[in-house]
Amino acid sequence: MSKLFPTQEIGSIAKPRWRTKGLTQPLTVNDLAEAEEWAGRLGIENYHDRAKELLSTRDQKDRVRELLELSTIYGLRLFERTGLDNEGVGGEQQRVEMYEHVIRGVEGMKVLGHVQSFDYKYFNKAVAESKIHRRHPIYLQEFIDVKENAKGPIKIPITGPYTLVDWSFGGYYAGRRSGSSLKKQKLEGKREFLLDFVEQVIRPEIRDLVDAGAEWIQIDEPAITTHPEPADMELFVEAWNETVRGFNCKFSDHTCYPSEIGYKVLAQYAPKLDKCKHLALEFANRDSTSLGVDAKHREGYHDLDYFIENGYDGEFGLGVVHVHDFSGHVPPASGKAVGRNIFESPELVRDRLLYAAKIVDDPGKIWANPDCGLRTRTWDVTYAKLESTVKGAELAREALR
Amino acid sequence: MTFTAQLGGIYPRSEQLVELTRSYDRGKTERESVEKQIEEDTHELVRLEEDAGFENFSDGAFAWQDQLRPVVESLDGVTTGTRYSRWFDTNTFFKKPTINGKVTVAKFDPKEFVRTDLLPRSKSWKVTLVGPYSFSELGENLHYKTNADLLSDLARSENEIIRKLSAAGISQVQISEPCLVYRPYRDNAMTGSELNTALTALKNTVEGVNATISLQTYFGDATAILPHLLKLPVDGVGFDLFETEYAPLKIETKKKIALGIVDSRESNVEDRRWIAETAARVSKHIVSDRTVLVPNSDLKFVPRKVADAKSRSLAEAARLVGERK
Repeated sequence: MSKLFPTQEIGSIAKPRWRTKGLTQPLTVNDLAEAEEWAGRLGIENYHDRAKELLSTRDQKDRVRELLELSTIYGLRLFERTGLDNEGVGGEQQRVEMYEHVIRGVEGMKVLGHVQSFDYKYFNKAVAESKIHRRHPIYLQEFIDVKENAKGPIKIPITGPYTLVDWSFGGYYAGRRSGSSLKKQKLEGKREFLLDFVEQVIRPEIRDLVDAGAEWIQIDEPAITTHPEPADMELFVEAWNETVRGFNCKFSDHTCYPSEIGYKVLAQYAPKLDKCKHLALEFANRDSTSLGVDAKHREGYHDLDYFIENGYDGEFGLGVVHVHDFSGHVPPASGKAVGRNIFESPELVRDRLLYAAKIVDDPGKIWANPDCGLRTRTWDVTYAKLESTVKGAELAREALR
Repeated sequence: MTFTAQLGGIYPRSEQLVELTRSYDRGKTERESVEKQIEEDTHELVRLEEDAGFENFSDGAFAWQDQLRPVVESLDGVTTGTRYSRWFDTNTFFKKPTINGKVTVAKFDPKEFVRTDLLPRSKSWKVTLVGPYSFSELGENLHYKTNADLLSDLARSENEIIRKLSAAGISQVQISEPCLVYRPYRDNAMTGSELNTALTALKNTVEGVNATISLQTYFGDATAILPHLLKLPVDGVGFDLFETEYAPLKIETKKKIALGIVDSRESNVEDRRWIAETAARVSKHIVSDRTVLVPNSDLKFVPRKVADAKSRSLAEAARLVGERK
């Protein structure tokens, strides 16, 4: 992109209540109050006609289809209104969440029950009960809706095979014990499971998306920084390269919330990832909230150095706003903390971008985005954070003029 | 030679508790309903431990948000901070402690650690704490000039916490030290002096306490450090069998050995015969009069029904291997 500091969202935003409720039961006029309010704010075309149809549709299947498309349009318009340069897929309104959405489309996987992620957040963890294969296309319908309704460039985030395998129980793949040590058995089982996921699920999916016109696919691999051991990193590279092999498409990686080791090990392996033109990473979460463009004030962005030292020459999607609960001090010039949210000022976003541009030594390689999807924030908070991201990028451009 | 089984650490919340805590988080459920379900989850686990014949009782720590939180909240000089960090190589997170002052013990209620009010009087009670070394590695030190100083105060504080828990009726304390064996986040191997500092801190943590202490390592290979740990003044030492290449070892010890033989990271329920045979095989390399079979770490990484099945299998295997001997 020729514009400096283009802006993007990473993936998901919260699902409005009318969308969630409507998937399982008929909606009333009251249920659509929030939809009507946001329709005005976002300029949703033909809102009243669509609402009438939603309320009158008796067929559950038709209503679900209409809801998924409409909520996707809301997400796209929200991103457009805030001024983002890339609209993603409108906040992943058609997905349960990044893990379960895929798992439901995979034959051989069974959801076992909830496992704590943190505090009162959980995810439904599945097991491979048999050899796996794709049951049906997973992201295709969403992409078709997005392509039809987006007014700007789009990118499709998909969950990466390494993460899907790492977040699942191996079951069938883990249960076949050979004579080697338990540690080696686990790794062998993981490799077989992973390569099956790539061949049987992810590559067919990418094939469908590319055939339908996808030009940029973001592969979300948050699990990779949790396994910095060489054997696992090599497995990740093998799976990535097999995933993208032969496809004519821009690929990017999104990895967030690494373990204590940070991005140091990923930085060593990133140059080995074929066709990986862009890395979207989380930084704001561990950065200070004071203004400044030096290393002391921008401690959270230190890991960028590792990617440069290791020769990664692609773009960086820089996490410039926090996406989770916040409870710290915010100097007035840097924004404000309200309830469980921090509202970063455009000036804080600007300084983070300018610092990264210095480290990377090429502002043309820096994108501005939230650390991760904003799905745990309300739409009002999401809107404000994305607006600040866009304004901060403008300020950074001005500073370099 | 005796074989027993124990649970420890955080046990997975039931699907009912998951639903209630989610709803509470969204402001749709009263805290009282969550508390009630925590009690119910605890009672269910106690019943399982009773029926299965576990050596002592663990309350499941259903209210703990992560493995460090109750310790952090019982200390002055440490706050939970605002950052979530990944718990080693799992898909779970903890609030990273920030050490911003001298670490001392604040006033705390032992029930924040263990629900002694819900545990039966007939058996001994166990609590699991992350040890001072791993605490110092996982926290962010903004106060102490040296790690040795931080470790010294953490050890003193954990010693005081253990004493208070012991006074409240806790007779068994598992000190977990995963950072002693899981170290890919560090550039260099542990130096001799770093190891000595860690071991000294562990000695100070348990000095003079009136409780049985076991030291557990997990998520990494314990072969190199095992001989050092066995010299510590603790009752037992444990390791993760799914990470430790035990075959080259030949150790004889009078200490109790805790074998992390049930994989808390995988849903396949280990067959009791497989557990028994594997335990017997390992006990030829690490010879002890007392072996305790344990999960390799907190069972919170599997759904509740899987954890229940694994727990039962563990207890049955302890009986089976005991009978074979």
